[in-house]
Parts: sequence; C-alpha cells; structure tokens
Amino acid sequence: MLEVKGLVAGYGGGEVLHGIDLAVHEGECVVVLGPNGHGKTTLLRAITGLLTPRAGQVLLEGRDITRWRADSIAAAGLVHIPQGDLLFPEMTVTENLLLGAYNRATWSDRNARLARVYELFPWLKERGGQLARTLSGGERRMLALGRGLMSKAKLLLIDEPSLGLAPLITQQIYASIHKVKDSGMSLLIADENANQVAGLADRVYLLETGSLVRQGPAAELLRDKALLESYLG
Amino acid sequence: MSARAAAAAGLTRPALDRAAAPWHRVSLWTVGGVLAAGIVLPLLLARIDIGTYLITLLILFFVQAVVAQSWNLIMGYGGIYSFAQVALFAVGGWTSGVLVHSLGWNPFLAILVSPLVAVVAALGIGLPTLRLRGVYVVLLTLAFHELARVFTVTGPRFISGGGYGLVSVQTFQFGNAIGNQRTIYLYYLAGLIFAIATFVIWRVIHSPLGVAMTALRDSETYAVSRGINQFRVRLVLFAISAFFTGLAGGYSTHYNGGISTTIFDFPRIIDLLAMIVIGGWGTFAGPILGAGIVIGLDQYLVALGDYQTLILGLALASIAVFAPQGLWPPIRRLYEKYLAPEPLPPALEVSPAAPHDTTEEL
Amino acid sequence: MSTQFVQAAWGGILFGSVYGLMALGLTLVWGAVRLLNLAHGALFVVGSYVAYWAVSRLNLPILVALPIGVLGAAAFAYLMHLIFIRPVIGKPGFDNSTLIATVGISIAVSAAAILIFNPEYKVIPPVISGNFTVSNVQITKQGLLVIGASLALFGAVYLFLTYTRHGMAIRAVSQQQEAASLMSIPVVRTYGLVIAISGGLAGLAGVLLSPFFFLNPNSGFNPMIQALIVTIFGGLGSVRGALVAGFVLGIFESFVEVYYGVAWAQPGVFLLIILMLILRPNGLFGIGEVRRL
Repeated sequence: MLEVKGLVAGYGGGEVLHGIDLAVHEGECVVVLGPNGHGKTTLLRAITGLLTPRAGQVLLEGRDITRWRADSIAAAGLVHIPQGDLLFPEMTVTENLLLGAYNRATWSDRNARLARVYELFPWLKERGGQLARTLSGGERRMLALGRGLMSKAKLLLIDEPSLGLAPLITQQIYASIHKVKDSGMSLLIADENANQVAGLADRVYLLETGSLVRQGPAAELLRDKALLESYLG
Repeated sequence: MSARAAAAAGLTRPALDRAAAPWHRVSLWTVGGVLAAGIVLPLLLARIDIGTYLITLLILFFVQAVVAQSWNLIMGYGGIYSFAQVALFAVGGWTSGVLVHSLGWNPFLAILVSPLVAVVAALGIGLPTLRLRGVYVVLLTLAFHELARVFTVTGPRFISGGGYGLVSVQTFQFGNAIGNQRTIYLYYLAGLIFAIATFVIWRVIHSPLGVAMTALRDSETYAVSRGINQFRVRLVLFAISAFFTGLAGGYSTHYNGGISTTIFDFPRIIDLLAMIVIGGWGTFAGPILGAGIVIGLDQYLVALGDYQTLILGLALASIAVFAPQGLWPPIRRLYEKYLAPEPLPPALEVSPAAPHDTTEEL
Repeated sequence: MSTQFVQAAWGGILFGSVYGLMALGLTLVWGAVRLLNLAHGALFVVGSYVAYWAVSRLNLPILVALPIGVLGAAAFAYLMHLIFIRPVIGKPGFDNSTLIATVGISIAVSAAAILIFNPEYKVIPPVISGNFTVSNVQITKQGLLVIGASLALFGAVYLFLTYTRHGMAIRAVSQQQEAASLMSIPVVRTYGLVIAISGGLAGLAGVLLSPFFFLNPNSGFNPMIQALIVTIFGGLGSVRGALVAGFVLGIFESFVEVYYGVAWAQPGVFLLIILMLILRPNGLFGIGEVRRL
C-alpha cells in the first residue's frame, strides 16, 4: 500500500535521511524503531508532505505522492498523527475531533464517526466542551489519535505514541492502537519503545542516523534482546 | 579574551586582516571622483538654460536621499517597521521654523536644533516600541504620525498657522547672494548635509553597531544570547535616523520658506517608501539610488498625473513581491565587476560574534 | 437626558459599530494568515466605488448596488491574494513583502479611483434615508442601519466560524497551520477565502459608510488606521476583541470629543492605546502569541 524508495530529506544545509526504503502492506502494522534524533519524525514528515523530500519516491497505492502537498496526501488517505499532537489549542475536544473529518467525504457522516471514536475513548464525549490546551499529556495523545481516526484514513502514521507519557497511560494508548489495528487499519508507527510495540508490530525496521540498518518480522527482531539493547540503549 | 591569552591557551586566531575593513572596499578614486563631480556640477549646470532647475532637483534629491537613508537604517537594517519618518522630518522642520519665525533665530543656527528635537521625539516613540513586535510598531508609529499631523493642523497658532503650517519663514541668507548664485550655495549646503549623513550612516552600517543591528534583525534570539543589548541598539538607531531626518526637515523649511501640513499626506510616505524599496531595501546605496530614481521619474512622469501614482503603487507592490532586493544589488554587481578593488575571500566576512572578540579596532 | 449625553452616546455607538466593522476584516486576516493588510482601506474604497458605479452608471437601486459593491471588493481582495500574497507565502520575507505590497496596492487603488471617477467627492444615496431627533440630537436611520448591520455581521461571522466546516477550517489554520494541513485542509486556499471575506466586509463597510464619509479616493486611509487601532486594542486575531474594542474606543472617543472638544479625542485614544500596549500587549482578547524578547 505504501512504498518508500530511496527517500532523502533534511533541513537547511543538512541531510537527515540518507535513502530510506520501506513498505507497508495492507492491514499490516509496521514499526520503525530508533533512538531520538535519528530521523523518525523526519521520515514521517517527509512521507506526509510536511517536508519536501530531496530525492526518492513515495508511492501510495501505486500513485506517486512524493511532491504532493500535505493536505492532498491527507485527503488521499495517508493520515499523520504527529509528534507533539499538534492539537488546535483554542478549540474544544469536540471541535478538534470534527476537524479530523474536515474532508468533504467524511464531513457528511461525521456524527457516525464521532460515535465510533467515542467507543474507543468514551471520555472524549463527556469532556467534549473542554479546550484542548487544558488537557493532560495522555488526554492530548488520545484526542490526537481520535482526531486521526475521524478521517477516512487508509494508512495511519503515528509518531511516537508514548512520548512523554506515564507508564499507565502509555499502556492505554497502545491498547487503543491495538484495537485500531484489529479493526483492519494499516499502521506505520515510529517509536522508541521496543517493548510496547512487541505485540503490535508485524514487521520492524531499525533506523539509525538516517539509514535503515535492519529489517525483518517483528517476532524475530524484537526477540533479540541483545540486539535491541545495544541498539536502543 | 586578549590575543595573548588566546595564544597562551593554545588557540590560534587568524591574523587581523586589515584589508577586510569596509573602507578598503570602496576605491578612494571613486569616492574622490564623486565628490569632485558633486562640487563642480552646479557650476557647470549654471551655464545652461535648465541648469538652475536641475540644481534644484539635485537639492531635492539630497534632502530626500538623507531621509530615505535614515528610514532605511531603521527599517531595512534594523528591521523595525517604523512609519514615523515623515513625522520626524516635520518635527525638525517645525522646530527650526518656529525658532526662526517666532523667536527670530538665524536659520543656520536653528537647523542645528532641529536634529536634537527630532532625536528627543524619536526616543519618545522608540521607547514604547522597544518591546513590541513588528505589527504593533507600525501601528504606534502611524498613530504618532497622525498625532503629529493633527497637532500641526489644530495646534496653537504659532505652530499651525491656521491649519496650513508655517508660511513666510525666513530662508537661508548667504551674504548678498541672489538668484543662481544663491541656488548654488543652497546646493552646497544641502550637499554637505547629504555627504555628512551618508558618511555617518555608512560608518554605522559597517561598525560593530551595524553588525549588531543586522544580527538582531535576522535572528533576534541568537543575537540577544550573544550579549547584544537590543534596547540600546534600537534606541541608537532611532536616534541616528531621527537626527539626520530632523536636520533635513530643518533645511527644507528654510529652503522652501515654510513647511506645510500637507507634508503628512500619505503620498509623501509612499514616495519615501518607494525610494527604499525600488532602490534596495536594507542595502547601503539602495535608498540613494531609489531617491534618484523616484525623483527623476517623478519629474519625467508628472505629466501623467495620477497614472504616475497608479504605476508607482503597482511598481512598489510588484518589486516587493517579485524582486524584494530592489534594483541596487544588480547594479552593485556591475560595480564590483568593473570598478571596485580586488574582492575579498568570503571567509573573512565579519560575523556577528566577532565584534566582541577582537582586541584591536579596525 | 441631556443633549450632550445623548450626542455622545449616539456618536459612540455609531463610531463603535463602524470601527468594529472595519476592524473585523483586518483581524480575521491577521488571525488566519498573519498578514497585516494595509490595503484594507483600499478595499473599503473599492466597495464603495463599485457601488457608486452601479448606482450612477447602471442606474441600479442602492439595495442592489450594495451586494455588487461587496462582491466587487471581495473579488478584488482575492485577486490581490493571487497576485501579490500567494507567491510569498511561506517565504522568509513574507512580512516585509506583504507590508509594502499592500501599501502599494493601496495607493494604486486611490489613483485608479481618481482616474476612473475623477477626484471630486461623490455621493451615494443612503440605503435608508431619513432621521428623527432624540433630545435635540439627530439620529439618522442610516446610522441605525450601520449599527444593526455591524452587530448582525459580527453575529454572522461568529456563527460562520463556529459552526460551519469552512469557518472551523479558518480557525484551525490560524491556530495550528501544520495540523490543519494534516486534516486535509488546503491552507493556501483557505487564506484566499479569508482574504476574500475580509474584502467583502471592508466593501460593505465602505458602502454603508459612504453617506457619512462621502466618497473620495483617499477615504480609506483614516478608517483603516482606526481599524488598525481597534484591532490591536481588541487583540489581533480576536473577533470578539474587534467588537468590544470597537465599542470601547468608539464610546470613549465620542465622550471625549463631546465633553472636552475635538482636539482631545485623538490624543485621548492614542493614550489609551499606549496604556493597553503597556499593560496588555496582546490586547483585550488577544491569543497570547509568543512575544519576542
């Protein structure tokens, strides 16, 4: 479904990604593991149009979306749940969710979509009128996730689901992501946390200083504790 | 850290390159040539029919160029969107006008006070704008402009002259000179003001202060973290800019024999803005070039009346969007190709950090 | 009630509505696009002149000319966006370029108005004519219309921004631009929409206010300065702020003018602004933007 070939990207004078090849197949959950600062966020941003790649290709269901604008890519079904959540601070929980369904195709059945998201995170319904900027870290993460699910995403890209969250909340988040996966959604997750993604991932890529150094089935890679330790520290 | 201590610590620093000083970049021949031409020109022009007219154009050019350069110092180099320039010009003009008209001062003395009062006014505006972002500065300075305008129109009689401004103010007297001869003297006075202003502004731009202000403009947080006191830099900029603008205002009053409240009209601000934008925003020679272009075209196109304004407006907008550097940079490239002395290797450009590190003054 | 009080109050509410109306477009554009639109006054002029043209050359009734003026201003604003703003969006020189570009457009419009219509003051018939007196003060029906229109528009804009898809998109873009594009909101096209809307608002203000200000090519400049003041006082980007600030400043100015004389009105407002900028630099309802050092 998603193919990335030889992706090169960076900021200003520097290059962060030195030629990335990866793929996500329909229904798969692919995890890109890597320590902070090695390019995970850059990768996701380059794929979803927030950053223009310098070289390489990004193909969504065969279509070349490499130079597409971010909003077109989102409309095509590649939905990015960004690091830091990027919520709309002065809007309420409900408004943030509704904006997730902005696209004309989804806007018409936004209420049905809301209902589905409420199943996953019931508290979103109760606290619908609360301003997004007053939410706690975990709540923001869940709202960001819910907002992403309001769209007609074919593939969800999640950047660091557990970043900055307490262990208990982290578990909740991953449990929710699991439910999303079970509903058939394809996922590309960038993460630092090998343990939590163990039950989630089908395949894993290891990203180190802008290059993919290993890849393979999750079962294989994640079992190798020694490798993970030396790699993730 | 002194050079000796640095050496002692095992660090080496490249030797101070005296050739890197900015005044070595401008050929003395060019400067000398321009000065000489400037001095001789009116004498030549006086001999031809429209010569006197051209000389008055040059005087207009000198005055406008000073104001344009001063404004460019604040906006182009300082990055402060101040629209108070015309008001400061007016402050200078009115100060000297009132001193002469109501208190009987000699114009030559009076115009020495103009810059000082203008500086005080500028500091008055400058202080509240210190902590404000670009947008607010636009507003505050426009408000000041409006305030000044209203004051000159509705204020006490000796200032407002019934709403028209000051009229019948004594003009400069050069002994018994009249006619052409007098115009030439006026030219030299204006030229002198222009030369001093240009020189001072050039020095400021190429001094540590100048580097500090561009550093502040380009990256405020970095500059401040390097110890640059943004308040002091801004105030000094305002002061210098106001000084020469006020001086130009004072000169203008005694050149024209008065100063009118129409000076506050929007078109005046636009003309000045056009000089900076067309010539080259944030460059040294840009406003000078711009002043020349705008005044020259003005005379040429005046027959077109309002079409001229229309074209000017569109030209401003187009240049701002499609050629934001103005016209000076391509001309400068030509200059450097043919007239300037050997260009310097880029590595020796002074960096924002350098001013504090050198022990010797260039 | 004393004549003076009624005079001051009427003037204040009328001014307040006018200021609010003028400021609304300006604050919307700033909030969404971070653009200081110094051509706002020009849009005011475009709206009123297009309406004038509809009335005088096409002989249409003022009620038909009004929406034509509004649409004309909106279209002009959108054109301005396409030619002069869109090319520099996202570039580092955006602030500079747009500041000067909008100034340039402003004077170009004035000149064009003079060229097309000649510089004399023009008159547009008021939408509602007639007046009545209260305590010796003349209350014009057009004035009441302006007040009503202003309040109605604020209400309409508020509803638009809060409950419609495009309105919410505009708010989203003004709060978190990247996230907005991740929601498949076309950011640049949204900018264009906001600019067009603000143009329409300015145009409407122009048409409604022509009977008071008369039509002349430079009639946009001063209202725009006032609009700028009101916008900043109320808080850049805040619709609520524009409404409240408009009335606060309008009423303040009117009372100062009636009780202390015209000469004190401007300086009074000026002082009030400075006070606000010192105490609350973000204005009454400003979304606290990160203030640079």
